Amino acid sequence: MSNDQLHHLIVMVNQISSNLHHTGTDDEAAEAVAGHLKKFWARSMKQMIIEYADQDGSELSPLSREAVAKLQKPVETV
Amino acid sequence: MLQYFDPGKPALNPDLDYGTPPAISEATVSLSIDGYDIEVPEGTSVLRAASILGIQIPKLCASDNLDAFGSCRLCAVEIEGRRGYPASCTTPVAEGMSVTTQNGKLAKLRRNIMELYISDHPLDCLTCPANGDCELQDMAGAVGLREVRYGFEGENHLAAETDDSNPYFSFDPSKCIVCSRCVRACEEVQGTFALTIEGRGFDSKVSAGQSEPFMDSECVSCGACVQSCPTSTLMEKSVIDAGQPEHSVVTTCAYCGVGCSFKAEMKGDQLVRMVPYKGGDANHGHSCVKGRFAFGYATHKDRIREPMIRGSISEPWRAVSWDEAISFAASRLKATQARYGRESIGGITSSRCTNEETYLVQKLIRAAFGNNNTDTCARVCHSPTGYGLKTTLGESAGTQTFDSVMEADTIMVIGANPTDAHPVFGSQVRRRLRQGAKLIVIDPRRIDLLKTPHGGEAIHLPLRPGTNVAMVNALAYVIVTEGLEDRAFIEARCDQSQYAAWREFIQQERNSPEAMEAVTGVPADLVRQAARAYATNGNGAIYYGLGVTEHSQGSTMVMGIANLAMATGNLGREGVGVNPLRGQNNVQGSCDMGSFPHELPGYQHVGDPDVRARFGKVWGVAIDEEPGLRIPNMFDAAIAGTFKGLYVQGEDIAQSDPNTQHVEAALTSLDCLVVQDIFLNETAKYAHVLLPGSTFLEKDGTFTNAERRINRVRKVMAPVAGLADWEVTMALSNALGYPMHYRHPSEIMDEIAQLTPTFTGVSYDKLERLGSIQWPCNDEHPEGSPTMHEVDFPIGRGRFAVTEYVATEERTTRKFPLVLTTGRILSQYNVGAQTRRTENERWHEEDLLEIHPSDAELRGIRDGDWLGISSRVGRTVLRAKVSERMLPGVVYTTFHHPGSGANVITTDSSDWATNCPEYKVTAVQVEKVSQPSQWQRHFEDFDERQQQLLETAIHGEKTDDVGVFK
Ligand code: SF4
Ligand code: SF4
Ligand code: SF4
Ligand code: FES
Repeated sequence: MSNDQLHHLIVMVNQISSNLHHTGTDDEAAEAVAGHLKKFWARSMKQMIIEYADQDGSELSPLSREAVAKLQKPVETV
Repeated sequence: MLQYFDPGKPALNPDLDYGTPPAISEATVSLSIDGYDIEVPEGTSVLRAASILGIQIPKLCASDNLDAFGSCRLCAVEIEGRRGYPASCTTPVAEGMSVTTQNGKLAKLRRNIMELYISDHPLDCLTCPANGDCELQDMAGAVGLREVRYGFEGENHLAAETDDSNPYFSFDPSKCIVCSRCVRACEEVQGTFALTIEGRGFDSKVSAGQSEPFMDSECVSCGACVQSCPTSTLMEKSVIDAGQPEHSVVTTCAYCGVGCSFKAEMKGDQLVRMVPYKGGDANHGHSCVKGRFAFGYATHKDRIREPMIRGSISEPWRAVSWDEAISFAASRLKATQARYGRESIGGITSSRCTNEETYLVQKLIRAAFGNNNTDTCARVCHSPTGYGLKTTLGESAGTQTFDSVMEADTIMVIGANPTDAHPVFGSQVRRRLRQGAKLIVIDPRRIDLLKTPHGGEAIHLPLRPGTNVAMVNALAYVIVTEGLEDRAFIEARCDQSQYAAWREFIQQERNSPEAMEAVTGVPADLVRQAARAYATNGNGAIYYGLGVTEHSQGSTMVMGIANLAMATGNLGREGVGVNPLRGQNNVQGSCDMGSFPHELPGYQHVGDPDVRARFGKVWGVAIDEEPGLRIPNMFDAAIAGTFKGLYVQGEDIAQSDPNTQHVEAALTSLDCLVVQDIFLNETAKYAHVLLPGSTFLEKDGTFTNAERRINRVRKVMAPVAGLADWEVTMALSNALGYPMHYRHPSEIMDEIAQLTPTFTGVSYDKLERLGSIQWPCNDEHPEGSPTMHEVDFPIGRGRFAVTEYVATEERTTRKFPLVLTTGRILSQYNVGAQTRRTENERWHEEDLLEIHPSDAELRGIRDGDWLGISSRVGRTVLRAKVSERMLPGVVYTTFHHPGSGANVITTDSSDWATNCPEYKVTAVQVEKVSQPSQWQRHFEDFDERQQQLLETAIHGEKTDDVGVFK
C-alpha cells in the first residue's frame, strides 16, 4: 500500500462524512457513512481503511472513525 | 372519407414534404379536394391536406418544417365560392370547402410563374450539382414549362459570385430564387438569425450577416439552410465533389447526448452526406455542425488499420494478425492475474460505443476477469446524476423527452450551455423562448441562451464556481418560506418523514438568499425572483449539465435539484422535470449497461444476492459480491503496484481525466494496457496492445440519448480492420477462456432485455417498428415511457434529501488567486480526437484561456499573449482571450487539444459520493510567459517518439484472419 493511496482513502471517507454528518443522530450518520462505503467501495479499499483505523486512525474525522468501526471486513470470495 | 389526426406528429411519412407544419388542434374540419373528402385538424393548410391525400400541389417557398410564407404563388388553387387563386400554403382549411388543384387556368398561371423564375436562372441543369435533387427542376417539370419567352439578355443575377468560405457548403447566389426558405430555416429551425433578405423586389438577395462571407457571419454551420434550399444555391461541397448519393441508411449521430437521427446518404460504400432525418424523434430533422458535417474522421489517414503489439512502451509497434494480437493480450492479462491476483486487472467501457458493446465489455470484466473492476468515462461527467437521481427519485435518468420543453413556461438551465454542447436541443429551447417562456440561467458564465434573438424575459444568476449547493438551498428556502410549495404533490407523492427533516433544515436562516449572498456572490433579490418564477410561473423545467456534476458536491447538487422539483410539484407530466444533459452520445447507455463497478446492467447492485443469482445463471459464472475499483482508485492502485492490467475500449483516459501527470504515472506502471480505439489516442501511447476500433458507421447497435431514447445505429460501411468493436471484445473473451458467441448485436440486446427489468420489452424488431424506444420499456410500458414518474416513483415515494452546503477544499489563496473552470464549444467534441481531424478545426484551432478584462489588466495581459497557468498539481501554457463573458476572478478554458494540457492543472479533488472529478473548480495563478511549460515540452517529445514508433509499424505485415473471429 502506498501512502498516497491511503491518503486518498482518508480524504474520501472524511469528505463523505462531512456531507452526511447531518443525517439524523450521530449513530444514524455513522450508519449512513458506513452504508455508503459498503455500497460503493471496493474490497481492497475497505480492507485498507479498516486496517488503518485499527492501527492508527488519527487522520479520520470522529464520524469517519465511527463509521469505519461499523464496517465489516469484506470476505474473500472466489 | 380519409380521417387524419396528427397532433404534434411531424409527418406521416418522414421522407415526404407535406408543405406546412402539422396543426395541433383537437377539433377537425372536413373538406373536399379534387372530389376526395378528407377530415383534418383545424388550422391545417389546404396544401398539407392535399398532400396527406397524396395530391401534390406544386410549391417552391413552402416546406413542412417552416411556417408558410406565401411568396412564390406556385401553390395557387381554386376554391369554390372564393375569388381569385389563393395560395394553398397560407390558406387554412374550412368546413365544407371544395378545392380544385388542377385546371387549365391554374396550369397557365403556374407556367407563367415558372417562366419568370427560370428567366433569371442559369440553364446549366446537366452540370449542376443539384441535378436529380432540385425542386426548381421538379416544378418546371410538374407545371410543364416548355418555353421561356423572356431572354437572358436583360438584367439578371447570373454572374453573382460564389461564397466558398464555409468548409462544408457553398453559396452560389446566381442560382437563388429568393424563396427565403434558408432565412426562415435559420430563424425558425436553428434560431441563429444569421441570414437576411437584403433589398427589395428584383434587387432582393440572400445575405449572411452584413453581407459578410458565411464564415465571418453569426452562422454556426448547422446546415439547416442548406437542407431547405430547393435549388443548388446552398449545397454541400461533398455532393458537389461526389455527385448525388444513390442509397441511404437511417442511423444515429455519435457525437452528443441529443442523439440526432440522420440519413447517411451513400454512393456504394462512400458516405456522401449526412442529412438530418425528419423521422428522428430527438431531432425532427434538425442537426448541428458536428453530426451534419464532421464525419470525415471516419476515413482519415490516422485511423488504426491493423492490430499491433509491443513488449514495452519504448519499443516500436509490431503490426500482427488479429489472432496474434488477441492471444498476446489474453496471455498477458492472464499472466498478470496469476502473478498479482484476480483483482489486479480491470477495464473501461466507452460512452461512445454502442450499448451492446458496453454491455459486452462489462460482462467480459465480471465474467472473464472475475472481478467488478469496470468503470466508464461517465465517471468523470455524470456519475453524480446517477447517484443523486437514484437516491431522490429512484431512477438514474432524466424524466422527460426533449419535446417536453415546448410545454415549459419557466426553463431553468444550470451549469449547462446547450447552444454549444447540445445544439439541437439548444435550438428547441430557443424556439420555446421565442414563444415567451421565461429563462433562468444559473452559471458563472453568460451563456448564449441569454442572448436568444426575440427571446422572452431572462434572469441570470452568475454565481461563483463551487457554490451551486448554496444557491439551490437559497432557492428552496424562498420556495418554502414564501409558501410556494405544492403541498398536494408533496403529500401525495413524497415520503413525509424525509420531507419534514428536509423542511426543517432548509428553513434555517443560514440557507436564505441574504445569508448565502456572501457565498454565491449573487444579490438575494435576484435569487428570490428566480425562485418565484420557477415555483409559480406555470410549468417549471430544469436542465443541467456538467457545471452541476463536476464539483466536490456534484451529487448533493443533483439531489438539491430533485428537491426543488418535488417541492414545487414539477414532476410527472409534460413541460416539467429534471433533465441531465449528457455529454457524449452514449453516456446514458453506458451507465444503463452496468459500466459502474457497483452496478450490473439496469442499476442493479452487485451486493444483491437475487440479482447476482439471475445474472450468474445466464452468464454461467459466480459474480463477485463486492464492488470493484473506480477509475481514480484504479490509478491509485496502479501507482501502488497492486493494479497491473487494463483493457480500455474507446476512451482516452490520459487526456480526459484530471491531473494528467498522476494519470501518466499510473499508466506507465501497468504491465498490460490493451487499448481499442480508432486513433492512436493519448492513452494508446502507453499501451502494449493496440486493437483497431470501428466508428459508428461501421457497425450495428444502439445508442441511448439523454432522454432515455434507444436509437438504432446502422452499419453503412465495413470496419476498416475487419472487425466491429463487439466482435473484438468477443474474441478477447474467448481467448481468455470465457465463451461468447453472438452472431449479431440484436442477440446481445436480447440478453440485455432478459436481464434488465427496464429493458424487457426492447428488441431490434420493435425498434424497427417504432423507430426508437424510451426506457423503461416492459409489460407495463410496452412502447416505452416518454415521461417518467407519472403515477409514482420506482422507489414508491419521492425522497427529499438534506443538502448541506460544504465548501470545496479547492479554495483560492494568495498563491492561487483565480478559479479555473472548464467547458466545451460547439465545433469540437470532447477530447477532440474526431473533430480535430475534420474541417471543424477551422472554428477552434486551439484551446484559449478566457480571462476577465480586470484580471487581465492587473497582470498586463492582452489578447493572444502566452499565459502560464499553474495550480497546486501542475502547470501549462495557453494563449489569452480577454472576455467579458467571465466573472472577475474566474478564468475559463476548453480541453479539446491534448497539447494544451488543461488537465495537467486540474486536481484530484472530486465529488464526495462518486469521485466525479471537480473539473469546474481549480485554484490557479496566471502570468505572462514566453515558452511552453515543462509538461508541454515533455508531451511534445513523448508524442513525437510514440508517433515514430507507430510509423515504423504501419509497414508491417497485413492482417487477413478476420474470418476466424466472425
Ligand atoms: S448553416 Fe445554420 S446557422 Fe448558418 S446560415 Fe444556415 S441555418 Fe443559419
Ligand atoms: S438560397 Fe436557396 S433557400 Fe435561400 S432564398 Fe435562395 S433559393 Fe431559397
Ligand atoms: S452532435 Fe448532438 S446535436 Fe449535433 S448532430 Fe450530433 S447528436 Fe445532434
Ligand atoms: S408554396 Fe405556397 S406560395 Fe410558395
